[in-house]
Amino acid sequence: MKSVVTTVVTAADAAGRFPSQNDLEAVQGNIQRAAARLEAAEKLASGLDRVTREAGDACFNKYAYLKQPGEAGDSQVKIDKCYRDLGHYLRLINYCLIVGGTGPLDEWGIAGAREVYRTLGLPTNAYIEALTYTRDRACAPRDMSAQALNEFKSYLDYAINALS
Amino acid sequence: MLDAFSRTVVSADAKTAPVGGSELATLRSYVRDGNKRLDAVNAITSNAYCIVSDAVTGMICENTGLIQAGGNCYPTRRMAACLRDGEIVLRYISYALLAGDASVLDDRCLNGLKETYIALGVPTQSAARAVAIMKSAATALIGQTNSPASGGSKYRKMETTAGDCSALVSEAGAYFDRVIGAIS
Repeated sequence: MKSVVTTVVTAADAAGRFPSQNDLEAVQGNIQRAAARLEAAEKLASGLDRVTREAGDACFNKYAYLKQPGEAGDSQVKIDKCYRDLGHYLRLINYCLIVGGTGPLDEWGIAGAREVYRTLGLPTNAYIEALTYTRDRACAPRDMSAQALNEFKSYLDYAINALS
Repeated sequence: MLDAFSRTVVSADAKTAPVGGSELATLRSYVRDGNKRLDAVNAITSNAYCIVSDAVTGMICENTGLIQAGGNCYPTRRMAACLRDGEIVLRYISYALLAGDASVLDDRCLNGLKETYIALGVPTQSAARAVAIMKSAATALIGQTNSPASGGSKYRKMETTAGDCSALVSEAGAYFDRVIGAIS
């Protein structure tokens, strides 16, 4: 799992040396920024279901045709799966905030997503709309502090860019 | 390879649950004690040569048969291999301490180490003893409990702010014990 610490250790191991002062400084930099992202992770975890619900509603409001017969959301089962997937993306963003890197999104969310969506005939636009709504809806200080919000939004943007 | 943060994430993913609440408390303590941890890693890396050479010397002093003809530290080529292995083990322990997780130590150092030693005829009992001496030295340096009486001419105190390092001392000790458990 890619993070600052594992990157530093992998590099040191490849060179066969002990962690150098550079490595320790890199980890220290990561730790200094950790408070904000842990706060964002905590707030997101506590409101995950509500955030998912709002994001999914926004997506079906914009693309109402998705609920018509033959489309991706033409039965309640399929609609539920759409909300479930959005929950997965937000959960992976929670993990990214914990790790302090894009490793969880890369390994569990983005790798292979394009192929799967194409095979299943799912529109990625709908996911982008939902995540964009979440990004624009979140605000400081109502939801979390400004710095935490910045961290949260940067991972949302990362997911949006990967899907588009 | 995992660190303290990604370990939490992997176990949360197995339950498809977000990370929140109580799990965050342990991560917050990693962040709060981040500087102590870096000092602890520094205490090991700065004294690596001393820790390793002292451990191998101690191991031989307790069992002088090792450097007599037929012993496993005879001739110097084999003792050099022993010193090298001591440094490698200490290096992976320093990685594990930095990451706050033993996975790098397990995956890249301990996996198959016992089998390798048995195949090469290395006495694992002696190797475990050397690691135990490294544990004493490293934990004394991290916790600043070393004294001129036990350190002798090699006595050194790290120039760090005094504080409570007991959690890090026991964490580092656990990584050494993990090595001992894996090879004996």
